[in-house]
Amino acid sequence: MPRRHLIIGGGTAGLNAIRTIRDEEREESEITLVSAERPYSRMVLPYYLGATIAESHVYTATPASLAGWKVKALLGRRVTGLDTGASLATLDDGSTVQYDDCLIATGSRAARPRISGADGPGVHSFWTLEEARAVIAAVPAGSRVAMVGAGFISFTILNAILARGARLTIVEVAPRILPRMVDAECAALVERWLRQHDVDIRVGAELTAVEDEGGARRLVFKEGEPLAADAVIMATGIRTNLEWLEGSGIEVSSAAGGGIPVDDYLRTSVRNVFAAGDVARGRNRVSGELEVHAIEPTAQEHGRVVGANMAGRELAYRGSLVMNIVEVCHLDVASFGQWEDAAAEVYSAGQPLRFGYRKLLFHGPRLTGAIICARSADIWAGNDVGMLKGLVHSGVDLSAWKAHLARHPFDIKPAFMAARTVGALLPETVLGRPSRSPQLPQSAVIA
Amino acid sequence: MKVLSLIPERCTGCLRCEIACSYVQTGTFQPSKSVIRVSPFEGHTSYAPYTCTQCAEGWCMTACPVGAIAINAAGAKDVIDDTCVGCKLCTIACPYGTMFYDPDTLKAYKCNLCGGAPACAEACPTQAIVYVEAETADWVGSFAAERTARVLAGQVA
Repeated sequence: MPRRHLIIGGGTAGLNAIRTIRDEEREESEITLVSAERPYSRMVLPYYLGATIAESHVYTATPASLAGWKVKALLGRRVTGLDTGASLATLDDGSTVQYDDCLIATGSRAARPRISGADGPGVHSFWTLEEARAVIAAVPAGSRVAMVGAGFISFTILNAILARGARLTIVEVAPRILPRMVDAECAALVERWLRQHDVDIRVGAELTAVEDEGGARRLVFKEGEPLAADAVIMATGIRTNLEWLEGSGIEVSSAAGGGIPVDDYLRTSVRNVFAAGDVARGRNRVSGELEVHAIEPTAQEHGRVVGANMAGRELAYRGSLVMNIVEVCHLDVASFGQWEDAAAEVYSAGQPLRFGYRKLLFHGPRLTGAIICARSADIWAGNDVGMLKGLVHSGVDLSAWKAHLARHPFDIKPAFMAARTVGALLPETVLGRPSRSPQLPQSAVIA
Repeated sequence: MKVLSLIPERCTGCLRCEIACSYVQTGTFQPSKSVIRVSPFEGHTSYAPYTCTQCAEGWCMTACPVGAIAINAAGAKDVIDDTCVGCKLCTIACPYGTMFYDPDTLKAYKCNLCGGAPACAEACPTQAIVYVEAETADWVGSFAAERTARVLAGQVA
């Protein structure tokens, strides 16, 4: 009898697992996918909002591609309960799926603050395709948009909102923008840049209610003037979709960040159940700690490692690197690894007139975190982005270069080359073999 | 597979590779848009070209959320322009610093070995860049380590 794999969640982790199972398995298995939504990439929704791509561009699987992979796809369905003793999943229509192994990849959803009017009309989240459609309808040219939260999610849609011809005000409760992505000095640089590009920013503003005012929204704060807006977008964080696992016996962490603790093979506390992506509390490559990294690259790598292990391999994962990049009005801001670390040796430098910033964090000979800010037009800085990733990712010995980098934090490239970082990186692959071309519906064979 | 083998000891820093590359890749004679980059060492007395190794993992390719990077007939990871949305995820996924973003087209681009006839190798007058059957390697590490030793020792600026 063929092995039965159940994939719960059709996001990045789930689809990468499916593709990798088919790539790695020796005998063809049965794959069932249960996904509340038709698979698409949330990463590219901002480009749909900004009207640079059509809606059809966001899909990562079509009925034809799923059929090509021989996946039994139960779309529009949710798993409501997992009986791990009987290896049986129950769906929201009452039907059941028996599995030999199972992947939990149910991702996360947008969270809203618990204040009056937060779920009322004219108040949006931007996380799912359906929410993106609603924001598109609510943000015509000339409209006034208030975005609550000045974090990564908010900044990924900033360009698109401006491109729609809306006037944007960003409201943040913390005393500065991007509190979980960059340090205060870099945030000040980005804030100055955004103000120069006609984005209004209110920091230290605690929202207490969203009220209706003649069909428009009125944002009320603990202190300061209220703000009028035609549309409000709540970019106030995300929450993992794990409630349905209650009673399943699968361990969920009560520590900060939550998530399902997984071992280096991405197995949960129940051996034939894996977890990947936003719901998984997996290893941090740099610190070795277990953490939830709710980012796309982690979901992708988790998904592939799970796929290989479901196909019968015993593949250990080295852990994920926290990293983010966002471009706002042609200013690039990126951070890698442990960029906020009181125990690290820190070298930083700014070029305020060019909106450039570098921060390097060391533990002994290793670079363990970095922040970079640069105008997109400063192309040379773009190389530094990848090289900083390589230095943190590889953990090469930079002891010979620390004194130089302390004086010249912008001079990354000679250190990257001379530390033989390329040589350290080349042997590593996530699956222990060369990667293959993706087979997403949009990909075409290049002749 | 044929790869770009880089021999920095032969490089004169003439930048013909960058000019040729930028023209083939982006239609402009603009070294800043080249995906092969020549780095100077020791006060511009020696140079090393550096470009994508076409690594086995293909961090750019596996990271792309829309499958816009695929392996072409020459074995190179290549950006499919119509599919790329310009999200820059590949630029942070690539640990080599060899994914590029063109602010004019709003898309990522990289070395695609010019589909099997690399313009840089053709333009190089000293065979510092050759397109040969070989294992990809760290072509510049030892050279860079040797040519930066005196800078680090404080002997030159």
